[in-house]
Formats: sequence, C-alpha cells, structure tokens
Amino acid sequence: MTFSSSYLFSLTTFIYMGAAALYLINWIFRVQKVGLLATVVTVGGLVIQTVGLGLRWIESYQLGYGHAPLSNLYESLVFFSWVTVVVYLIMEWRVKQRVIGAFATPFASLSMAYASFSPNVEDKIQPLIPALKSNWLIAHVVTCFLGYASFAVACGLGIMYLFKNRFSGGSGGIMGVIPDCKVLDELTHQTIIFGFLWLTLGIITGAVWANDAWGTYWGWDPKETWSLITWFVYATALHARFVRGWAGRRIAYLSIVGFVAVMFTYFGVNFLLAGLHSYGSQ
Amino acid sequence: MKASSSTYQDTSIWRFFSSVRLAVFLLITLAITSIVGTVIPQGEPLQLYLETYGPGFFRIIKLLHLNDTYYSWWYLILLGLFSTNLVVCTLRRLPFTLKLFRRDNLSLDSGRLLKMPFKKDWELKKELDNDSTQSIISAFKKVVGKFHERSDVDGGRLFLAERGKWSYWGIYALHGSILIIFFGALVGLFLGFKGNVMLPEGETIDHIVNRQTGEHIPLGFSVRCDRFKISFYDNGTPKEYRSDLSVLNNDKEVFHKSIVVNDPMEYKGITFYQASYRAIPEVTVQVAKSDTPQRFLTISTFQKTLWPEEQLSFGLMQYQPSVHGRPAAQIWVGDQKGREGNFWLLKGNKKEFKNGENLYRISLTNAKQLYLTGLQVKKDPGVWIVWLGCTILIVGFAVVFSVPHRRMWLWIGRRKGKTIVILSGQTNKNRLQFEKNIRKIEKALNSSLGVRQ
Repeated sequence: MTFSSSYLFSLTTFIYMGAAALYLINWIFRVQKVGLLATVVTVGGLVIQTVGLGLRWIESYQLGYGHAPLSNLYESLVFFSWVTVVVYLIMEWRVKQRVIGAFATPFASLSMAYASFSPNVEDKIQPLIPALKSNWLIAHVVTCFLGYASFAVACGLGIMYLFKNRFSGGSGGIMGVIPDCKVLDELTHQTIIFGFLWLTLGIITGAVWANDAWGTYWGWDPKETWSLITWFVYATALHARFVRGWAGRRIAYLSIVGFVAVMFTYFGVNFLLAGLHSYGSQ
Repeated sequence: MKASSSTYQDTSIWRFFSSVRLAVFLLITLAITSIVGTVIPQGEPLQLYLETYGPGFFRIIKLLHLNDTYYSWWYLILLGLFSTNLVVCTLRRLPFTLKLFRRDNLSLDSGRLLKMPFKKDWELKKELDNDSTQSIISAFKKVVGKFHERSDVDGGRLFLAERGKWSYWGIYALHGSILIIFFGALVGLFLGFKGNVMLPEGETIDHIVNRQTGEHIPLGFSVRCDRFKISFYDNGTPKEYRSDLSVLNNDKEVFHKSIVVNDPMEYKGITFYQASYRAIPEVTVQVAKSDTPQRFLTISTFQKTLWPEEQLSFGLMQYQPSVHGRPAAQIWVGDQKGREGNFWLLKGNKKEFKNGENLYRISLTNAKQLYLTGLQVKKDPGVWIVWLGCTILIVGFAVVFSVPHRRMWLWIGRRKGKTIVILSGQTNKNRLQFEKNIRKIEKALNSSLGVRQ
C-alpha cells in the first residue's frame, strides 16, 4: 500500500524540514516571498499530515483494532508535531510575524524526523492494551499535547528573547526583524498561560482516568510527578511576573527550563524511569 | 495600594507569608525536591535501599524518608507552607479586592475621564437639544447595552457601562480550588481505605486487607467472583480482563456487574477495580493398580491430593497448557514412608510408575485453568471534593485570564459656554477587543453629533 498513513507521514517529515529551512532563510535574508512560501509549505504539510492522521485512524479500524492514532510513542510524536504546527500557525496569523516560525517549526520537524527515522520507534499500528481502553484516552492525550506544543512554542519565543536581548546592538541586521523584547515577553507569557491551562486539564483528565483504571487519582508515579514538576515550573513563570526584577530574561529562561521538564515528562520518564506509563515508550 | 491599617497585617511574619516571592520560592523548591522521588524507587522494603545505596546514603534515605518522599515530614512541611502562603496571600488581597469591587465608578470627575487609556472628546459650539442628547445616549446604549447614569457630575450627566467586575473573584476561586483539592485528598486519606484481594472463581469475600496497615476491613456485604475471563488479540497481546462479580447481602444476590479495566464496580461507596489475575491449573488424573478399580483424582497446585486406598499423595508441580498441542503436567507422588518421585504426563498418554512392590498406571484425562481475579478495592469519600476543586480550578483559571473588567464612560456637559462630550474607557485585559468596541461607539457618536471623519 503506497498511499498509506506512513507514506503521508514520511512526506510530512520532509515538508516540515523544508518549511523550517524556509523560515530560517526568511529570517536571515529577509525575503518576503520566501516567508510567504514558508507559510504555504507549512499549511500544505499540515493538510497532508491531517489526512495521514485520519487515514491511520481508518487503517486501525481495517485491522480490527479501531482506536484513535494516539496510543503509542510514534503516534504521539506525530500528534505532537501536528499540534505544534497548529499552535504556531494560529500565532503567525494573529501576530503577523513569520520570524517566530524559524524558532517554532524546527520542533515539529524534529519530532517527525524522530518518529520516522529512529529505529527505536515502532510505527506499526498496535492494538490497545486493556489499560488504554478508555474514553479518557483522547481527552487526556489531546489536552496534554496541546500543553506540550504550546510550551514548545513558548520555548522558541524564550530563545528569541534571549537572542534579541543579547545581540540587540543595532536595529538593523537579522536581530532587527525579531520583534521587540517587550512584545516577545508578552507573547511568551500569553503562550505559557495557554499551555498551562491545557497542561492543567491534561493532569486533571489523567487523574480522572487513573481513578477509573487504578482506583487512585494521584499515585506519585514518575510520569505524574514529572507532569507536576512541569506544572510547578510554569506556575513559577506565571507568578514571577509579579516579583520585581523577574519579568523578561528570567521568564525567558523559565520557558526553556519548563520545556526541558516537558521533554523529560514526555521522553525521560519513559526511557530512564520505570512506571505505570511504560506503554508510551513502545 | 496603601498598607492596611490593622496592626496584625504589619507583622513581619504576616508579610513573609503573604509575599509572592515566597510563593515563587516554594514553587521552585517543590519542583526541585519532587524530582527525588522519581529517581529513588518509592515504597520498597528498607533492606533494598541498604543494598542498592550503601550504608552512608541509606542513613540519609531513612532520615529524610526518601523511600516515601511525598509523605515525608519535610515534603508535608513544604506543602503546609505552600497552603499557608496561599491562605495568607488571599486574606491580604481581600480588602484590596473588596475596595475595587465596591468602588463607585460613577463618582469621578470629567478630568479623570480624560486620563483613561481610551478617550475621545468632542467640543460643540451650540447647546444640545433633547433630541440630539437622546440620540447620543442611544448610540452609546446600542453598543454597551445596560448602563447606569448619574446627573450633576461636574455639571453634566455621566453614564457608565461596567462589565465583568465579578472577575476579580476569579483569582480566589483559582487559589481556593487548590486548598479544596488538598482538603479532598486529606478526607480520602483519613476516611477512606485501599486494599487488594485475590479472589478465586466461585469464592466469596466479606472483608479486605488494608494495603498500608494490614488490618482487616469488613465490607458490610459479600462479593463473589462468578467468572474470570481473559481474551487475546490475534498477535497474542491481551485484549481484555473481565471479572463477573456478584454482591451478596445475607446470601442473597443484590447486584451484578461485569468489570473490566477502566470500568469498575461501585457498591455502597466501595469500588472494585480489575487490577490483575493469576491462573491456577487443575488437572484430573485416572489412576489404577493392577488389581484395584480405576479412580479419578483432581490435583491442583497448592494442596496434595490423597488416594486413600493406596495411601499415596499426588501434587502438581508444573503445568503446561500446550506441549505438542496437548496439555502436560509434572506430577509429584509420595507415600507415607517418605518415598517420593515425579514425572511428566502428556494428555492421552499412559504412564506406569512403581512404589515399592506395586505397579501403578496413570493418565491425564482433563486439565483446566482455575482463575483468581486480582481486585483493587477502594473507598474514597474525598474524591468528589477533589473533582469539585479541579472544576473550580479550571473555571477560576478561565475567569482570571479571559474575563476582563471593562468600564466605559460617557459624559455630556457644558464648560466655558461649550458643550463637551467625553467618551472614555478602561479594561484590565483583552485591550484589542475593547478598543474595537470603543471605536464602534466613537463612530456612532460621530454620526449622531454630525461630525465627519
């Protein structure tokens, strides 16, 4: 089967890599047309990826399993990249700034590349194990990954802030295209608020689900604990704005530290620590 | 904001506990210390820590309860400080919020209106007649909806449309919800219990064993496992674990439920979850001595079965459901004098064995798996409080970050022989949307005042 979801996802990987390169060129050489092309390519990739996700859902029914494509590491990586692109495109549309693309789309293409090329990531459609058979699966995964993707974008914004803050010698050059520090700070803050809401919902839906499956809404399992650690970091970022001298650079650092915590919750727990969430690593 | 006049609020302890700085410090500390319990395995026997980490680090683990980090004295102190910080912050903000909430936004002069973030004023040479005044007011009303009016403010009429004043309470809902969740967790901890039970098919229990304390907890009713079933996908991975449970009250069946993972049974506030299972094989053998009639014996893993006529005992050492497509069992045989031996039996094959002088024939006639279902049993009267807290948390969050407090003023009056109309407004969030609304009123006023742009 050539026209399968895996084929479409491989295609998406290359399209997103191309898009990231175009955004980078647009930032460094400031060619308007390249920027527009980058957006068009990203939207095209998103459409293909969306069709791929739908197709994979249908394929799982054809195999007799019938579940949403959100059940293992491969599918979660694809979904993570999908949500990151959606969150970024909404931001590009609202803020009218393509420079952010150079810092946001790499996350999406890296995630797709990891899913497609790593020999450790099983890309076969697998049946759902009993623990995952729940109506909460979709709600839990979607909310968590909306949070993760927002935090990826916030991390990109934080990196932009630190770049701008450090090399803001003249208004020209490649730093001149990056929005003002004040604008970046506000954007980072807004994105963190958005992500924090989804992370909170992700933790709550996870708790409701755990209560249904294991009889404990909170069991201090490493995955749960790390999601809470992530929550603490972003809660710090939200409160730090009210502490004198903490806005700006420190919040940019927190947006990066927070994303490291996100990455550890997502991958580190599965690969380095044992726990109930182990099915996320297959 | 001016410091409150009451003296207890000025003590340094009060100020310490009410600072956002402490909140930030506690959040960072909780984030860092929480890592410990994800790196060091939790809830293992103490001996294991000694073997893994050596005597030096073991002493630290014991002192700081790192084997049970999240219930250790220092972690609970951190959570206690966190809660205190939340409560004191809330109490300290309260007078300020009340003042904001009760503030009369109609008692200000026209000069203040011109200092608002959004403002526009018109100067008209002629005096406004009743009709044009009415048309200005209705243009204002068309966009803002309901509004309040006060006459004789600075010699003019002041109109105020105020929305979302209640949103100041969102932050209390948001912070209070965390305390509600903590409270729900404590209720569950002190008034609930958790336990496990392995229940063989066909058997009944009326109590469970508490996982932490080991004490017996009577259920107040009985639960019987009628059947356990496991099914597989074609590729051999488990598809479903299912237990058919019956609730009995004085030996009368009152409730049935077939439970699977993610779909537990709840009865009288106690919930039964499908957690695990164990399969116990049970085989039937046919035995005979040359001069005695044959006899059927059922043998299972945990007890010996006696063949009374011959004073021989049988046991099941191992069971394989499929050897060359047939069930196979390793049978143990022993007599009263301590002589014993064992052998494998394949279903359908006969085997002979000797004990002393006697020769016996044995064959495996039947084999089946007896299942024990592993149930997690829980009572948690606090769980609804936790869900309530979570709901308030989300609603509070939405209010804090998306419901703005918006005020729009319109002042119509005369000054120095001229008619002045002032439109102004203020919002504490979502300025873009607010500005659009203000511009809409401005346009409407322009046309009703006959001003062209």
